[in-house]
Amino acid sequence: MALKEWKETTRDRLFLLLAFLLPALWLVVFGYGLNLDVEDIPFAVLDRDHSELSRDYLQRFIQSRYFSFQGYADEERALDRLLTDTKIRTAIIVPERFQEQLAAGEPVAVQTLLDGTFPLHTDIAKGYVIAINQAFTEDRLVEYLRAARGLTGDQAAVLVRPLSVEVRYLFNEEVRSTWSMVPALVMFTLMLASPLLTALGVVREKETGSIYNIYSSTVSRAEFLTGKLLPYIVISLVNVCVLWVMAVGLFQVPFKGNFLLFFSASVLFVFCTTGIGLLISLLVQTQMAALIITMIVAMIPTILFSGLLVPIASLTRGAKVQAHLYPAMYYTNIVRGSFLKGVGADVLWFDLLALGMFAAAISGVTYRLFTKRPRA
Amino acid sequence: MTARQQATTWGRRLAALTWKELLQLTRDLPLLLFLLYSFSLSVLVSGAGITMQLTNAELLVHDADHSPSSRELIHRFQPPYFAFVGAIRDPREGLRHLDAGRAMLLLEIPPRFHEALMSGERTAVQLLVDTTNAPQGLSAAAYTVRIASLFGAERGLAAAGLSGAKASLPMVTSAHRVWFNPTQDERWFQSIAHVLRMTTIFAVLLPAAALVREKERGTVEQLLVSPLSPFQIMFAKVLAMSGVILLALSLALYGVLHPVFHVPMKGSTGLFFLLTALHVFTTAGFGLVAATLAKNQAQVGMMTLFVVGPMLLLSGITSPYESMPTWVQAVMTFSPLRYYIDITYGVMLKGAGLNVLWKSVGAMLLLGGTLFGFGMWRFRRQFQ
Repeated sequence: MALKEWKETTRDRLFLLLAFLLPALWLVVFGYGLNLDVEDIPFAVLDRDHSELSRDYLQRFIQSRYFSFQGYADEERALDRLLTDTKIRTAIIVPERFQEQLAAGEPVAVQTLLDGTFPLHTDIAKGYVIAINQAFTEDRLVEYLRAARGLTGDQAAVLVRPLSVEVRYLFNEEVRSTWSMVPALVMFTLMLASPLLTALGVVREKETGSIYNIYSSTVSRAEFLTGKLLPYIVISLVNVCVLWVMAVGLFQVPFKGNFLLFFSASVLFVFCTTGIGLLISLLVQTQMAALIITMIVAMIPTILFSGLLVPIASLTRGAKVQAHLYPAMYYTNIVRGSFLKGVGADVLWFDLLALGMFAAAISGVTYRLFTKRPRA
Repeated sequence: MTARQQATTWGRRLAALTWKELLQLTRDLPLLLFLLYSFSLSVLVSGAGITMQLTNAELLVHDADHSPSSRELIHRFQPPYFAFVGAIRDPREGLRHLDAGRAMLLLEIPPRFHEALMSGERTAVQLLVDTTNAPQGLSAAAYTVRIASLFGAERGLAAAGLSGAKASLPMVTSAHRVWFNPTQDERWFQSIAHVLRMTTIFAVLLPAAALVREKERGTVEQLLVSPLSPFQIMFAKVLAMSGVILLALSLALYGVLHPVFHVPMKGSTGLFFLLTALHVFTTAGFGLVAATLAKNQAQVGMMTLFVVGPMLLLSGITSPYESMPTWVQAVMTFSPLRYYIDITYGVMLKGAGLNVLWKSVGAMLLLGGTLFGFGMWRFRRQFQ
């Protein structure tokens, strides 16, 4: 059975090529291209003060790598238009008497207009603005204390900034987006590509009617299903190795964990993903339905609920439940754990167990659902 | 036959074929159910369930000082950004929690923290951050630095006798005004994003699979010997599928987005549906090109996945478009979703009209026309 399926697959050169090419190519495209850090936020400025200090202040935004300066505006209405047109995401309005008030030791409020359509980016942009304002304030305060109290620069600085935070980043010491992304992308490509391999297997035979040959033959249910799965599991496992080599070789992501653990988790995971495809294949009647359902079932929870982009902790309860009902999250834990944290089975045992249970459950349901004597 | 009669026959044939596609689709019960689910329940869960802003970052504290100051600092780490998960006595225990993913942050407050602050000395707290998820880790660190420096400045200035209501200091305070979504309700963003994703997936796949199915079964030859032009055959499929997608979209819009999440429709509803139709047509163009290249549905599935994946992740709903590398931005000028994102959020949240959106609309028309033309050319060449 497996041999027959293998032959059928290899005969379709284009499909086979895509099956191997897609994961590798995706890893390259997303590994290099998917940047989650919010940088180069386009912004414009309305400077109502036109003083030396206001220019000095704005220079801090213009020079920041988080912002990308798009020009000055003459009036607030111009900023409105730019925001509506998505030419800018942030606008800064420096009020009149900015320099005068600060020099007199009075606080000044600087107005920021933010595009709220993408709340995450809005929030991050707000954070950058606050940080720049805070730094500018501290410098002004030090200056002020020196002048008003006759303190030395150092004494004033201690007063203004007595408390500092030493941040140590664990597991991904240089905080590279690629390092945290690439291992998760291994999960992502496997989760998306593998079910599609198997999704059409059974339903194709249903559509062409060749499944009746199987019904009437001596091939047992288990033999038939294994035959449908095996070639694609092999393809996916080859892909696992290719992706691993690319992650370590091309992207220089450290692999701190145990390869055997990683590989056995991958085997379980591939069982799940190809199994999902096969299960859908059994449930529907047309290839078109199989294709679309598989793609959405594979894609949407993986983008949203796997920990790839959004940490599981910041999901609401309903979404968290959905995340736990889906194998991708557990595999993400294992992949990230094996690559970046270097933790072993003592920490990851639960995720492994969960994957094993998913694999068993999916196989069990598939076996139960497939009968050689369908009604009607 | 007069030109007018010809046009009527042409139209009638197109309508008949479109009707046939619709009938075929309605017979596929699992597919229909799934379509319904995708534009209703699925939107509900994704819209309500996801917050990408820093929320509930699990914070562990190792307080070696146990003083009023240290307690006050800890108290400033508040929900929704942080979730206090416990105090520990031994820093190594904290590392174990970070390893296991039970906490994201470990704040260490040194002994003599209070004393140092009161006597105007420098002091530092240490923050350990799990950065396996880099953006969230950075965000959490930035929040911590903000909280700590504000706390420090207050204490330092108080020690110098410079705080209180009367004190007037040269400070720049931030006054923010958030436009288009003043409360930064993330459900608006997420639910719209989900509808965009679903629309795109269905728009690529439905017509592509329908066309390749005819190829695979050989029924396309029958269609071609009938008095139907290749354009009619292709167009009927897109027309039928677009109708279905638009219907599903209105379900999402009037069944979930408006009543549940209170997403506004600031611009014109008509314009939104018109431009959605344009998006569906353009995206379907990709599917049709793939369908002319593929021999069977398995191939078409792989090929469309190849296109849809990057489209969904790189067009700007998943990651910030402006921060992308230039080559990604260049490639994404070919993604209709990229324009559709600006259009949708523009019309719904910003109330933008054609005077603002004309560039995106033009780009999409050009892209759709090219794809359709190319698909037609391939289709004709294959069968005639």
